[in-house]
Amino acid sequence: MLSTLFDGLSLGAIYALIALGYTMVYGIAKMLNFAHGDIIMVGAYTILTTLTMNGHPIIGVVAAVLVCTVAGIVIEKVAYKPLRGASPLAVLITAIGVSYFLQSVAQLIFGSKSQAVQLASFGTVKIANAEINIGTLITLVVGAVIMIALTLFVKYTRTGRAMQAVSEDRGAAQLMGVNVNKIIMITFAIGSALAAAAGVFYLLQIPAVSPTLGSMPGIKAFAAAVIGGIGSIPGAMLGGVVLGVVEKFALSVPALAPYATAIEFALLILILLVRPIGILGKKRREKV
Amino acid sequence: MKTFKKVVAAAMSLALIGSCFAGCGAKNAKSGAAGEYTANNTEYFIGSTGPLTGDAASYGISVNNGAMLAVEEINAAGGLNGVKFKFEMKDDKATAQDATTGYNSLYEAGMQISLGSVTTDSCDSFATSAVEDNLFYITPSASAAKVIDGRDNGFRVCFGDPDQGTLAADYIVETYKNAGVIYNTSDSYSMGVYEAFKAEMGVKGATFTEATFDAENNKDFSTQIATLKDCDVIFLPMYYTEGSLICKAATAKGCKADLIGTDGFDGIADLIDSKTVSNKVKYITPFDAESKNETVSKFVESYKAKYGKTPDQFAADGYDAIYAIYNAMKAAGVNDVTIAPSDLCETVKASITASDFSLTGATGTMTWDATGACHKELQFKDVL
Amino acid sequence: MNYFKNIKNAFKFKNCINYIIVGAMLIISLVMSSMGELPRSSADLLAQMGYSILLAVSLNLVVGFLGELSLGHAGFMCVGAYIGCYFANSLYEVIDSKLLVLIISMLIGGSVAAVFGLIIGLPALRLKGDYLAIVTLAFGEIVRTIFKNQPAFGAALGLSTKRFGSDLYIVALIVVLISLFLIQNIIRSKHGRAITAIRDNEIAAKAMGINITYYKLFVFVFAAFFAGVAGVIFGSKVTPVTYSFFSFNYSIEILVMVVLGGMGNITGSIISAVFITYLNFQLQDKLPGELAALKYLVYAIILILVVIYNNAPKLAALREKLSISNAISSKKKSKNPAAQHDDKNRWDVVPTKIPMDEIVSTDLKQEKAYTPDKPEKGGTE
Repeated sequence: MLSTLFDGLSLGAIYALIALGYTMVYGIAKMLNFAHGDIIMVGAYTILTTLTMNGHPIIGVVAAVLVCTVAGIVIEKVAYKPLRGASPLAVLITAIGVSYFLQSVAQLIFGSKSQAVQLASFGTVKIANAEINIGTLITLVVGAVIMIALTLFVKYTRTGRAMQAVSEDRGAAQLMGVNVNKIIMITFAIGSALAAAAGVFYLLQIPAVSPTLGSMPGIKAFAAAVIGGIGSIPGAMLGGVVLGVVEKFALSVPALAPYATAIEFALLILILLVRPIGILGKKRREKV
Repeated sequence: MKTFKKVVAAAMSLALIGSCFAGCGAKNAKSGAAGEYTANNTEYFIGSTGPLTGDAASYGISVNNGAMLAVEEINAAGGLNGVKFKFEMKDDKATAQDATTGYNSLYEAGMQISLGSVTTDSCDSFATSAVEDNLFYITPSASAAKVIDGRDNGFRVCFGDPDQGTLAADYIVETYKNAGVIYNTSDSYSMGVYEAFKAEMGVKGATFTEATFDAENNKDFSTQIATLKDCDVIFLPMYYTEGSLICKAATAKGCKADLIGTDGFDGIADLIDSKTVSNKVKYITPFDAESKNETVSKFVESYKAKYGKTPDQFAADGYDAIYAIYNAMKAAGVNDVTIAPSDLCETVKASITASDFSLTGATGTMTWDATGACHKELQFKDVL
Repeated sequence: MNYFKNIKNAFKFKNCINYIIVGAMLIISLVMSSMGELPRSSADLLAQMGYSILLAVSLNLVVGFLGELSLGHAGFMCVGAYIGCYFANSLYEVIDSKLLVLIISMLIGGSVAAVFGLIIGLPALRLKGDYLAIVTLAFGEIVRTIFKNQPAFGAALGLSTKRFGSDLYIVALIVVLISLFLIQNIIRSKHGRAITAIRDNEIAAKAMGINITYYKLFVFVFAAFFAGVAGVIFGSKVTPVTYSFFSFNYSIEILVMVVLGGMGNITGSIISAVFITYLNFQLQDKLPGELAALKYLVYAIILILVVIYNNAPKLAALREKLSISNAISSKKKSKNPAAQHDDKNRWDVVPTKIPMDEIVSTDLKQEKAYTPDKPEKGGTE
């Protein structure tokens, strides 16, 4: 039981990190970046390449964060910026296009087969008669640290407050001298860096990489962001953790295990029906 | 204006439709009676479909490599009565609908006999069409029972899923006390072997713990390992990709059980080593690349020379399937390169099920019975 | 008076064009088949085009006409395929005629899918935009997972269905014609106008007395019905029917067909469905091995470029310049400027959608110059 809880929390941390990227981009740039999940895959392949070139895992992690950040910024500039002001549907479809683009490029370069990535091997530690893998603990701790850091950043730094301003009222923020383009670029950069971190933790748990690595976690993290209330940073964290724990507990019950994904999505629908803006979402008034 | 746009649209679409018919009409394409597609054949055409892309790509590529190697050897030795063979595998991405599309293009290109498909769903789809046309198929690797069940033109080189499940159950009951099994509910191969395992365990009166996963959505096995933490052996009927992840997860979680896989585990040696996995790992297979047997080592040598890597079991199965067809055709004295698929099917069927027919190939010595099942020896191979 | 005018209108070219395209496909293939020139692969391809058209057009109803993004269309198809074909398997033992079994199972599959459309439509009433997208996506995954685990439907091995045979394309294309008839009549009636009114400005539509609940549910149920029928056609062509086909990726492929064809444009959906199906077929044949990924790469690039070209606000000037329609209308204008105002059909080319925050912060936008109310733009320039 305890072991499942820890697994759930650590998976939740991974989903939360990805969901944070989704929610920040949605809140600030007002768009759904469907390609976000595939940034994880980009990070994972960077690590694979570093390891194949006999680099140290830490270098791999740093490289992954850098590559993902750059990728995020480039994607924003090339695919999303021209569509600012266009209908949300168009942006969503472009995002889907970008996602496929990333997946096919990865397949062309690395092949479609799953490849093993041994980032680090950790032993286990006994906590109250459950064997907990140290990698899981690291994910939890570092993930929590990153999330706390992000919250502090958004609340107390100048850039962070500028991000909040843009998300509330872009026009007014512009009037107050905020460089909206730069803020959006920074948002994408941070989101992608978080995705890279999520990728690293993912590899610690599941040491394999393939072009479709980011697809399912991306969708689930999106669901997590929506559950928590899209546009809200604490909401994304809450949604991620909830989804991760639910998934692991569903998997640990043999009768429910095949339906784990269905249960997660059913939970999403249920929460949306009861509270359409998500648990911690902010109500938006629609004016005529 | 709007009308003009619509005229342009209509013209474009008609042109498009026209072009797709144009391409199709060009071949010797008359729908209908059998044998009309093969009238222009200059070589015996063996067709098949398999996953050349996607997650299962390594299986399709292996079968393709093995089969091509066999065809080259046969052609180099003069073919059948001087007539050469041609082999082609169409990519079906391990899906049923692409297998049918592949079947159709192969059939219209003059396919006379086939290796079916590599994966189970595709082979089921391929077989449905093959039954309609009475085309002979011998699949190297599609092991689910339903692939050849009730289809008298269907044969296979590999073991059926039930055989492996039964063998594993017998071995486990003899050797271990506390058995567990993890299987993949989203994969017909895994389910097929599991069902047979469960049945045989029931027959032997033994109990076991089980855990499931769905490979599509979950690649993390810590929960499953936790459920089976008290077992001293875990049976893993699945493919090597997930198998390798489970082996690593078992070590990571401190589970000490022996891990036994089935023939899908072939290829796992590339993904695990003693640093990442501390458990004992072995699997059921008819093919051992390190065997000292003459036929096997000759095959391994030629394969390495041509492709630069050690062949896996799928390659060996593909190799043997081609030789099975060749030997059966030779024994039956087939002499007409334009022979219709249906006629060839009857001939080869009779030949391959004859009581004196057997093939010694890379996967052992095999004989076939009228149900299409292949009889050969099973063995365990240690990985770690 | 109006009655006869309506009938006369119905036969005008611009209203008939969809029937002409599909009818031509059907007639040409029938002719070729009777001459013995229609190979099995073409018959297969035509059947595939048939159900792709059904899917694209039905999704267009939801996305293009109602304006709601549905990412779970493959889920409706899944329901229709499994349940319709399950009944077909039982019906084949009782009824002799293949065609009758197919028709009955299409109706069953479509109806069950329509029920699911109702189930999905209910959350749609409470949710907006992106939230609805994720709910439809979740629905698609849930449906797929449930069927994946039912032994009655074959579980992982899939449902074994009876092939209808190489005449399937005839039935498929006729079904498409019938569906087009139903869909176009709805679209061109006051119901269709109500639906597009909801898309353009929901609150205004409500204020005008349009029953939002009724129409939203109606569209979902209607679209789901046709997706279910498409699923049964698919199941009669491909066996076994496996859960893995109805993935989120397939929902996206259908969405691509709709977007490429133009949202709200039925002719466009038909053409892009045919085109993409054909393209897939050719690429699958011609691209060996790992190069198959090239196909998705090209797809993705085309998608991105087309969407950016069609929607980027900054490219509006470029679009005006390159637009075929403007080139033609500028010629027409020089002949009779006054005629523009009488052309009743011009108004639906004009985007009437007025996003709220454009109105609110219009003065604060730096990129766009102040533009007057949109409806005038198309009529007087």
